[in-house]
Amino acid sequence: MTERLDGPQAPSQDGAPSPRADTPKKFRLGPSPAIAIVFLLPAAILLGIWVVYPIVYSIFRSLFDASGSVFVGVENFTTIFTDRGTLVTIRNNLIWVIVAPILVTVLGLLFAVLTERIKWSTAFKLIVFMPMAVSLMAAGVIFRLVYEQDPDKGLANAVLTTVNDTFSSSQGYPDARPREGDASPVAAKDGGVATKQPAQAGQPVLIPLVGIKANTMPTNAAPALANPPPGGLSGTVWFDFTPGGQGTSGAVDPQEKGLPGMTVEAVKDGQVAATTTTAANGTFRFDGLAAGSYEVRLPQTNFTAPYRGLNWLGEALITPAIIGAFIWVWAGFAMVLISAGLAAIPRDSLEAARIDGATEWQVFRKITIPLLSPVLLVVFVTMIINTLKVFDLVFIIAPASVQPQSNVIALEMWRVSFGGGNNQGLGSALAVFLLILVLPFMIMNVRRFRREER
Amino acid sequence: MRKTAIVLAGLAVAASACGNAPTTTPTQPAGTAAATSGGAKPLQGQKIEVAAKWTSDEEKSFRQVLKAFSDKTGAEVTYASTGEDTGAYLGPRIKGGSPPDIAILPQPGLVQQYADEKALKPLTPEVISQIDTNYTPYWKELGSADGQVYGVMVKAAHKSLVWYRTATFEEAGVQPPTNWDELVKAAQTIADSGTAPFSFCGASGWTLTDLFENVYLSSAGPENYDKLSKHEIPWTDPSVATALEKMAQIMTKKEFVLDGNSGALQTQFPDCVTKVYDQKKAAMIIEADFVATPVAQSGEKVGEGAKTFPFPKVGETSPVVLGGDIAVALKDTPGAMALLEFLGSKEGGEIWAKLPGYLSPNKNVSPDNYPDELTKQLGQTIVSAGDAVRYDMSDLAPSAFGATDGKGEWKVLQDFLRDPTDVKGAQTKLEEEAKKAWK
Amino acid sequence: MATATATVERGVHAGAPKRGLLSRGVDKLGGGAVQVVMILIGLFWLVPTLGLLVVSMRSVAVNNAEGWWTIFTKPAELTLANYSNLLATGFTASFWNTIAITVPTTILVIGIAAMAAYAFAWMDFPGRDLLFLIVVGLLIVPIQVALIPMASFYGGTGMFGSIPSVVLFHVAFGLPFAIFLLRNFFVGIPASLLEAARMDGAPEWKIFASIVFPLGKPAIASLGIFQFLWVWNDMLIALVFANPDSQPMTKALQSQMRQFGNNIDILSSGAFLSLIIPLILFFAFQRYFVQGMMAGSVK
Repeated sequence: MTERLDGPQAPSQDGAPSPRADTPKKFRLGPSPAIAIVFLLPAAILLGIWVVYPIVYSIFRSLFDASGSVFVGVENFTTIFTDRGTLVTIRNNLIWVIVAPILVTVLGLLFAVLTERIKWSTAFKLIVFMPMAVSLMAAGVIFRLVYEQDPDKGLANAVLTTVNDTFSSSQGYPDARPREGDASPVAAKDGGVATKQPAQAGQPVLIPLVGIKANTMPTNAAPALANPPPGGLSGTVWFDFTPGGQGTSGAVDPQEKGLPGMTVEAVKDGQVAATTTTAANGTFRFDGLAAGSYEVRLPQTNFTAPYRGLNWLGEALITPAIIGAFIWVWAGFAMVLISAGLAAIPRDSLEAARIDGATEWQVFRKITIPLLSPVLLVVFVTMIINTLKVFDLVFIIAPASVQPQSNVIALEMWRVSFGGGNNQGLGSALAVFLLILVLPFMIMNVRRFRREER
Repeated sequence: MRKTAIVLAGLAVAASACGNAPTTTPTQPAGTAAATSGGAKPLQGQKIEVAAKWTSDEEKSFRQVLKAFSDKTGAEVTYASTGEDTGAYLGPRIKGGSPPDIAILPQPGLVQQYADEKALKPLTPEVISQIDTNYTPYWKELGSADGQVYGVMVKAAHKSLVWYRTATFEEAGVQPPTNWDELVKAAQTIADSGTAPFSFCGASGWTLTDLFENVYLSSAGPENYDKLSKHEIPWTDPSVATALEKMAQIMTKKEFVLDGNSGALQTQFPDCVTKVYDQKKAAMIIEADFVATPVAQSGEKVGEGAKTFPFPKVGETSPVVLGGDIAVALKDTPGAMALLEFLGSKEGGEIWAKLPGYLSPNKNVSPDNYPDELTKQLGQTIVSAGDAVRYDMSDLAPSAFGATDGKGEWKVLQDFLRDPTDVKGAQTKLEEEAKKAWK
Repeated sequence: MATATATVERGVHAGAPKRGLLSRGVDKLGGGAVQVVMILIGLFWLVPTLGLLVVSMRSVAVNNAEGWWTIFTKPAELTLANYSNLLATGFTASFWNTIAITVPTTILVIGIAAMAAYAFAWMDFPGRDLLFLIVVGLLIVPIQVALIPMASFYGGTGMFGSIPSVVLFHVAFGLPFAIFLLRNFFVGIPASLLEAARMDGAPEWKIFASIVFPLGKPAIASLGIFQFLWVWNDMLIALVFANPDSQPMTKALQSQMRQFGNNIDILSSGAFLSLIIPLILFFAFQRYFVQGMMAGSVK
């Protein structure tokens, strides 16, 4: 089997040589137009009723209100450009159109170039191309799982936190904070906790903290000791909460535990004079500190929350996250197209340039890319059209609460007309708007086709 | 728990005193029309399609009820889930002239809407007599539009509850609060003890409207509640500001909200329940009786590890907000009418009542059928709905405002959970959305 | 687009494994590094789907408690319970609906488009070029445009919610591409073959059925596989026009989406079932598939 779809060498199974057929235009001893009509009729009826008539109907319908009985002129279109919700969808579509096609094309190019370097390129291509066979619905479910916020469940954050933890480990008390109210001897300050009153040696510093989650309590924590052995500036950092709520606030009660491993600083005039760490029972002591009064503080480093990854499905990252899924689906398509384009580049011109002393990068920039540009353009334009129509991925991946923030025109059209909005006037206007957006590409296609036919 | 019982009992008394419910004893044995001739199955071979929003456990329970109907009548009943957004599901099917035989609408607002679109079929006298026998006029009214009865309230929900995990309250040494300030104080203590007090289901917009309605009913009183329900006072009213400020008290502090505000916004119902009872990360969920279903699934026992207290008083009124699902006929077939009659009957209600996660608005369904104590008590309140009780406000509103994902009140309250400091902004946006919906 | 398709076909399989154009340049980067990068990229593309498979084979409780990758330490948690539960619900029906929608659509698109493409390629009639340009223009009409008009059309004709309503919608929107693809292929059939047949007085339908259609097999195979997958994977059209008793898998799954965490058992196993047939087709016919997709790049 040849792999031509429209190439010159049409397959001829009778074994006859197949020279390029003269263009059909010249050779026409064909049948009468009446027979042509018979052949075209089924397609014409379907296209007429299902595609052409709806375009007309939609334009017409978009000029009427929700009920369809009151003519409102262009009011639905003004709504599109004034309503806060639809403006967000337009903004999002703009982000999609600017970001996604470029990323897909660049990645496709990169993969296409790199696959030439590996022996298992067919396997690689199959793997990267595979998502094309999967429904966007299933891809949505797949990525909803990947983007799960909890690093114990979502793959993306699991990877991020693992990478992060290998470079920096935070063993702290992210939820610890001073108890609210004036009674507490300590207060939050600069992200850490500091004593309200200056402290001196011989007078134990009490630093009660609350809000420590069970899973962040170190296993070696021992019952807190209220009066550390005398000598120097010393004190106790402890979890000031007795199970059952019976304890006294600000006092070390029998069941309360110390907070070990807490970094404590003694500060004088804004300068850190000494640093120490708490023991298992929460006590600390500054050795060899000059007499005087100090502010005792627990610096912010004690309270940094462990890295939990990114909030993929939150309002800020939702569109980039969905674009990520889109790239996962489409990069294979770009790669296959572009690598076919690469294979079609005549080697002579490349070799000639190399012989002339051009570097590989120059060859790539000056020869390969220009020769590839028709293919790159096809990929790019296809992606633009696809991003304008993107629907399923947004619908499936974005949780309901961030759907307004991640909404796109194609989805809003469905929502407004069928998904509860119940306004088919506005829905038609959105459909027409979408049609207008793809119109330039439609014209481009037609013109390119005419050029190629000549 | 005892307090709950007392409050609910009190309400029941008050309600039955005020309500003018007909006190006729059930005169008809259940399922009269459907089971006329013994042995013969009158609807053999008939196909009936029912659409409702329930999935997973609620769906399983409902299917059992449908099966009982099938077994009895021979009709072949298919169930379809509409997903959370019933309007979105039914809209195109009604427009397309191919609705299900019966739809179960989660909001009375939809009854009016579909009645206006002439999509609903009036009930037959048999069904209406079943309703008159088994329901108080209040419930009948909720299923009617323009004086015509279209719907049977088949399932009720008691939305003025706060669920908590007993262990967290014991650990923190707090008692179930009875008013808002106590709730905030208890939340602080629980947070101090190292547990997040609230698990919000921010991704499910209706849970936030339920919270607002309770706070508003209690702080602004029933009269304002009725006015706001009909949009007779604007959402920029100071009473709304008060309610939102109260809500902000439990939403603003990061130690109060499990997983932070943006994490809460990604949590759907019933994942927020799982987070409390399964993953043991938080102490309370402010939602209706039907939380019992996911609780049971998590392995906690209602009444032991999982308890409730009535929604604390914010102002003068002890709020009781109810919700309910209304079955309507979209096709006038004997099968559809027979099924509606069955669902509205004592017999159908009692089959359902034995399953978890169900409260019946049918006053002749004996509370003894319910599987646990709590449901029995709640069942009492529901049946005797009267002046002290209000129906879920967002469900009375046009669905574009009160029941659509990403629109109207759902969206604005989600934005408010994201940034609870912006009370003014939330009010302005609510009023904007309301104006669009009540146009 | 024709240039693109033409250039593309040459290299898909033939050119790929050979030492490529940039080999020398990339050699300098060190083959090892490229290997590692490519393996990482390959994993990035493979692992999410693998995750879905594992998730679909664990209980809701386990999935809610920990990530699927813990399976490597406790493989005993794997179970097929989700799948048997799924099949016990109405999901099987939606699987058959998907087939009942996809198969007729594919056949109809091929048949109707091949006839039209033959007319466009080898028959002379007034307005032919203009009509074909319209077909090219219709290639990228967004289906959103037809949702509202067709909903009311189906409502008026009582077709709404039926499988034919979904099928015909798919067929109509599949036609422009199919006609475009097949016409471009048919044009390449040697004129001498057709002339000979016509001179023998063979009727057109016979030429179509016995010469053009058989010769068009490669393109038809590409089209068929592409069309099949497109319809199989559609959600939007089903969402609007299908009823519960005619709904395909995509719509059935979508209705479970709202309780993602709670319904993850059904969602993951359903999603995996829905993608298994496309994947089998993909691996079995990937050559045609690739061609179809590439030729479809205008869509």
